[in-house]
Formats: sequence, C-alpha cells, structure tokens
Amino acid sequence: MSLIELRNVTKSYAIDNAVIDAVSNVSIEIAKGQFVSIVGHSGSGKTTLLSILGGIVKPTSGGVLFDGQDIYAFTSDELSEYRSKKIGFMFQFASLLPVLTAKENIMLPVLFRFNGSDGSGVSEEKALELLEMVGLGDKINAYPSQLSGGQQRRIAIARAFMNNPEVILADEPTGDLDEETEAEMMNFFKRMNNEKNITFIMVTHNTDLAMQTGRRLRMSNGVISEL
Amino acid sequence: MTKELTLFSFALKNLSRKKLRTGILIIAISLLVCSLVFAMSFVKRVNASIKLTSERLGADILIVPAGSRGSAENILLENQVKSFYMDMSVIDKLKTIEGIAALTPQTYLITMPSLCCGVPEAMVIAFNQDTDFIITPWLDKKLKAGLKKGEAVVGSDSALNLDLGLVDVDSVLFGSTFKIVGVLGKTGTGLDNAIFISDDNMPHIIESGRVNIKPGQISIVFAKVKKGYDPYKISRNIEDSILEVDTVARKDIGKSIVNALSDINKIFYITVILASILSIFLVWAIFSAIANERAREVGIMRAIGAKESHVLTLFFIEVVVVGAIGSLLGIIFGNAMYFTLSKSFSIIKHLSAELNAVERSIITISGFLIGTSVCIVGALLPVQRLKKLEPLIVIKGES
Repeated sequence: MSLIELRNVTKSYAIDNAVIDAVSNVSIEIAKGQFVSIVGHSGSGKTTLLSILGGIVKPTSGGVLFDGQDIYAFTSDELSEYRSKKIGFMFQFASLLPVLTAKENIMLPVLFRFNGSDGSGVSEEKALELLEMVGLGDKINAYPSQLSGGQQRRIAIARAFMNNPEVILADEPTGDLDEETEAEMMNFFKRMNNEKNITFIMVTHNTDLAMQTGRRLRMSNGVISEL
Repeated sequence: MTKELTLFSFALKNLSRKKLRTGILIIAISLLVCSLVFAMSFVKRVNASIKLTSERLGADILIVPAGSRGSAENILLENQVKSFYMDMSVIDKLKTIEGIAALTPQTYLITMPSLCCGVPEAMVIAFNQDTDFIITPWLDKKLKAGLKKGEAVVGSDSALNLDLGLVDVDSVLFGSTFKIVGVLGKTGTGLDNAIFISDDNMPHIIESGRVNIKPGQISIVFAKVKKGYDPYKISRNIEDSILEVDTVARKDIGKSIVNALSDINKIFYITVILASILSIFLVWAIFSAIANERAREVGIMRAIGAKESHVLTLFFIEVVVVGAIGSLLGIIFGNAMYFTLSKSFSIIKHLSAELNAVERSIITISGFLIGTSVCIVGALLPVQRLKKLEPLIVIKGES
C-alpha cells in the first residue's frame, strides 16, 4: 500500500479571463521510504504539486490520500496537525523567522505541535543535535540576520526534521548552497532516508541531484511523467 | 539553561522587533486611557460629593434667603466661605406650613483674621442646640452634654487646616476666646471645614461689632418633612407662602452644579469617544502594516503546522500586551494628572468628598478594559485577514 496517492489531481488558476492548469490530472503513488525527485522547468507546476501534497494548497479537483485518508477532507485544524506531524517542509527560499534564534527557529514546529514545549527537554536536545548534523552547532543563538544565506538554508533543513516527519517535501533545498555543502546535505538526506525510512519528495533543477534519487519524475505544463 | 520558546515569548520578540512602532502604539493607548481616567475621576468626584452631601445632610429641605440658593450650595458642597442672612421670624412662618416635622436654624459667620479672629478665614456656624438635627449626629459622644458658651468644635478637615489636631486649644473668634473642645466626625460635606459654636454666643458676637449681622438674623433653616409628605410639594408651598425665601429640596442639592457640569461631561466623553475611534484607526493602520509585513512569516508558520488559533493567539498576545502596558501607563498618568491638575479646577479644589476605593477601582478597571479593548478592536480585521491567508500564496510572495 502506498503512503501517498494522488488521484486525478488538478489545480487551476484563473488569470485574467483564462483558466490555467498549474497541475493537470496528476495521478501518482509514492511508497513509504521512497526518495523521489521531481524535475522540470520553472512554472511547470512542481512547487504547486509539492504544496498540494503538503496540504497547503487545495486542488481544484481530485484527491490526495495519505495512509488512505483524503487530507482535503480534513478540517483546518486537522490539516495543520497533518502538516505538523507527518510533513517536514523545505522551501525554495530562506524561510526563517527573523526574531527567533537558530535554535528557536528549529524548535518552532514543536511549539505548534505541542502548544509549547513537549515538556521533556527532548526537543531542545534534538534541536541541538540537528544543528550539529547540519554543521551549525556553534550558531545556536545566532539570529538569521547574523547568518549567511547558505547557513540559513541549512537551519531550515534542520527544522524540517524537528517533528520526526514521515515525509519531507523539499523545494530546491540546496539552492543557495555551494557544491561541497550541497553534497553534504544530499548525503544527510540519503542517510535520513535510509536510517529512518523517511519518504523524500524533492523538487530540483539539478539533474545530478535527481540522479541520486531512487525515483525520478518530470513535470511539464502541469503534467507529470516518470523519467 | 536556555529560555523556553512559547507563544508569549515569541510575541514579545515580535513586539521588540519594531520598538518605535510598538512605543507609538503604547503611547497612543496610554494617552487615551489617561484622558479617560482623568475625565471619569473628575465627573465621579463631583457626583459623589453631591450625592454624599445630599445623603448626609439629614434635612429634606433647605430654606435660605431669596437669591441665596447658590451660596448655600457653595457652602455645603464646595466649602466656600459665604454669608447671607434673613430674619428669624421666618421660622414661625415655616411652622405654619403643613407637613413640616422639624426645623432648625443656622447662622453663618466669616472669620476675618485681621479684624476679628486668630484663625485663618473660615466659616463659623452657629447652630441651635435645642432643635439641631444636622450637627449633633456628628458630635463626639463625650460632648453629648452640648456646647457651653465660649466653646467650639471644629470640622474634621478644619482641625487640620487650623493645625489643631488636638482638642482643648483656645482660639480667638470675634474678639472672644473660644475653647475648641472637640472635632466633628467626618461628614464628607462642606461642614468638615467649618467651626461650630452654639447660637447662645450670638448676642455677644453681635455686640462685639466684628460681624456684619443684626440681632434676630439667621442664615439658613433646615427642615424635615413628616412621613408621607412630598418634600418637593412642601418646597413649593414654602416658596409660595413666604416670598423672602428660596428652598432647595434634598434631592436637588447640587442640581445647578450638575446642570452646569453636564455640558463639560459631554465634552469630556465626546473627546474620549473621538480619541477611542482615533486609537482604533491607529491600531488598525499599524496592525495592517504588520499584517502585510508578516504575511510571509505567517504562511511559513502555517506550512510547518501552525493552526489558525496559533496565529490568532500570537497576534492576540501582542495586541493585549500593547493594550495592557498602554492602559497601565494611562492609568498612572491619568491619576497623576487628576491629582495635579485638579487643583486648577475650582469646583474640584473645594469639594470635600474624595473618591473611595471602589470608585477608584471602577475607574482603573474601566480604563484598563477600554484601553485593551480599543487595541483588540483595532487589530481584529488585520489579524482575521492574516489568519485566513493561503500559505502558498504568501510563501511564493504573490499576495
């Protein structure tokens, strides 16, 4: 049984008087533990598809099943819980909150999941561990303005793992990183995929990165195909 | 040990991000609450003073010489030093009016330090001990035997004004030495600032030639009406029957002041309402700007699991913190302004009744609630808009 299933998903936007399908009749199944990459040109609908999978954009038609449940039949709070417990997001831009330190940014998903700390102190330990894993153990109390673009990106990557998600949705996660750090992060992803059986769905322009994934999909004009 | 991240600490961090803007909001709310507290204190004190005097006077009707109604109120409510006289024969005429149960006269004299007296300018009230029902209830128990000739008691505030504090102090009044034998209990009326003597002393005082009063003159008559009679009706009867007097029914004491103040009250409250509306617009404008600035952050928060309630709570905390700090400052400034500026308002300066703890608490709580509510109302629409944002649109910067 697949972990995620998209059934005839279409997302349309009305622009001026025309209706454009950003995602057109997409049906795919993704098994637990798969590492999937999605490649395609800008504007091909990759980010929209990722957002539909993450429960932040409701499709115009079709259904998104997670563990057999249609996530868009959830209430707003249930959908938030789905995002909080099941999904880890990596955005294609630096997405840290400027008033919070590196550690606080990483711990933010815990705040929303538990309405505060989980009370055990485990969250803080985990945040520090993740900071070490992305090579920024010395930046615990640094604010985003004190970090480079690449460092901010790595903090955002660490944040995505904070709530032990089942699925990581990564939108150009290594965009701002130099080649060496990009390789480090990719190895980190693969390790998390192998060791913790976390499912990865990664949008990328980088075909070298895509080649390292177990399954490759292409988006073109909102239509998806296997590579 | 590091500080735990909570929605509250997160909200405080957001507020400290733009210190000037937060400061402006706090100042605006504090100014609003300050004006509200000042206005409410002013109005409440005037009303309280009038109510207290009316309740504690013990008489249903005041009878004064025609044209002296205002002066009588000045003495009773505002502690002003005034004198006015009418012939004592008025009492006999009043006795013929149906429905009157008791009458007692008083004579008001003014001490003039340079001419007659060894005390600062003050009101001396000569009362009739046989008929009195105004002063006697406030006399100390040990004076039950009454005041002898050459003895005086002073009102509670007057004791302080005269720097007596203790009894058994001699004072020179109208050329004679009076023994101050007691201090009246606090009445909360203008009587607290007077010196009281028995009207047995009047012939001697008149003989001294240091007061401008003729034998057989009195200033005021207090009347109690019989049960079942309407004081207003009796008041009208008195004015119709005795042309040389005016009357004030107990419930009308201070009416002229209340009427004069009603316009001031309206101005106060209209100003406060306008200030509230202005503050709501200011909060709305600032939180609209905040909402625009932070739309993307809210989108990110929603994408990583924040519920609508988390977004609402976060902004609600920010709004309430601003409102609460502004309100608390406003309450402090408002009270400071009231105590400082009230000395410039003659009507307040002379009033005896101070606001009690309950009235102060009501003003404080009202100021706090109104200041905080104004903040919440102003921020409501922008925060509602934020709550409903589609995460992807703001994350991609398409909003």
